[in-house]
Amino acid sequence: MTDQIKEQISALLDGELPQNELNLLVRRLERDPALRLAFGRYALVGEVLRAPGGALASAGFAERVSVAVAAGESAATSAAAYAPSTRRRRATPLVGAAVAAGALFAAVLLLVPEQAEQLQPARIAEPPAPAAVAADIEASGAASPTPARSQRMAAYLVAHGEYSTPIARRNVWTGVLANDPGITRVSYEFSEAR
Amino acid sequence: MSLRHARVLAAALGLAVVPGLQAADPPRAWLERMSESLATRNYDGLFTHTAGNQSEVMRILHRVEDGRSVERLVSLDGSGREIVRTPEEVHAYLPDRRVVLVEPRKEDGSLLKAVPAPGPELELLYELEARPGHRILGNDVRIVDVRPRDQYRYGYRLWLAEDTAMPLRSAVLDAEGRVIEQIQFTRLEMPAHIPASAVEPSVDATGYQWIRTGRRGNVRVASVAGWRVRQAPPGFRLVASRFQALPGVPVPVPHLIFSDGLASVSVFIEPGPASGPIPREHATLGSANAYTTTIQGHVVTAVGEVPQNTVRDIASSVVPESGAPALDAGR
Repeated sequence: MTDQIKEQISALLDGELPQNELNLLVRRLERDPALRLAFGRYALVGEVLRAPGGALASAGFAERVSVAVAAGESAATSAAAYAPSTRRRRATPLVGAAVAAGALFAAVLLLVPEQAEQLQPARIAEPPAPAAVAADIEASGAASPTPARSQRMAAYLVAHGEYSTPIARRNVWTGVLANDPGITRVSYEFSEAR
Repeated sequence: MSLRHARVLAAALGLAVVPGLQAADPPRAWLERMSESLATRNYDGLFTHTAGNQSEVMRILHRVEDGRSVERLVSLDGSGREIVRTPEEVHAYLPDRRVVLVEPRKEDGSLLKAVPAPGPELELLYELEARPGHRILGNDVRIVDVRPRDQYRYGYRLWLAEDTAMPLRSAVLDAEGRVIEQIQFTRLEMPAHIPASAVEPSVDATGYQWIRTGRRGNVRVASVAGWRVRQAPPGFRLVASRFQALPGVPVPVPHLIFSDGLASVSVFIEPGPASGPIPREHATLGSANAYTTTIQGHVVTAVGEVPQNTVRDIASSVVPESGAPALDAGR
């Protein structure tokens, strides 16, 4: 994928791609499975960064995503058809057009506005080649909310832990240490039009 | 005074000795003894914590000396965060944020009453079973299954050392028996003495922002500031209420604590933003879920080691009682 295409995808996700380029890109998406997968991963990054509260990517996130995107491109040629998509949260109209073209489905599962509750959880174990990429993305796709939100969630959990059983407190506080409180973990499916 | 409180009091006086365990003891007795061991023993362990696709190695140190208990929980390969809990305060060191959260605590009788205790009524809500298991870390093991009878609580599978009832492995399970979170010790020592230096934080918090999130004061069982939950899920009852200071909130906010005897849920009621209602939101950290919604101009958040539907139902059921004082934050 050329740098120009990457920039176009990024611009599309930001709603800033000129109409003439948008048309070209959508046509390219329709006929290029590798580009669709790459687009899905870019969109996933966008989802994470747009998470409620204003998400901040964790250190090294961009690099890991780049690696995963590259891996996704190489894996795409052997990609099988995926489960049908449902709907996508916070899609811009332009992204919506691409989705309508069968490009992607990306569901924020663990920190979600309620309207996204009906989204299906990820089934990242299948098919094999893209699943490996998906797992990589999921592991690296954790992003933090704003510091204020993060601190608030940590404060909730620390205060709550005082009123838990010892083992529940250990579980809850381990969560505070293991994850950025309020962490956005994303689960998603990619789908292709059949 | 219940057996549990008597034991905790004995522990506080430095008299704690876990009584001999009998394999034929009912499962609830194993739960009591596990909680007692966790609260009263010296231990130093390494464990892996797995939730979803994430796994981290943690260290836990628990030091009891002269009835004074200090615990230190450290992330060894993740965020570098630490939590140190003393009888006076809980410090959560967040080096990635350069922040220390400080939660004052008061380990008195009222707090003990608020902490869930596995009473006889527990078996109305959970099905309990104990059976022998395979050895772990050289210990004979008793497996205790705690299966929820409905969808409002999680279950546990606990692998307890036969001689000490220390949990060598634990899993949190949803109502269908799927694992949500696991903790497995790879090393667990129970020395007679742990040096005080071992429970000191390793984080150099110089220059960090220290945020005092709690407020000293007696825990009250009465409702705080006229807020109540209209209908809690079956088995959950209000066990305590207090005021809690939170970072970014200019006034202490009501904090209601609900428990079913094993799981607990905290509800925080904050002044709403001037900009209007905020989106309803779920957050999940391992086995803990949080749900935030807006009720009559207030931001209500329920947090607990329970399923999403439980925190959602509790938060959504919060109502101000007539005459409740407004939480005017001046915003």
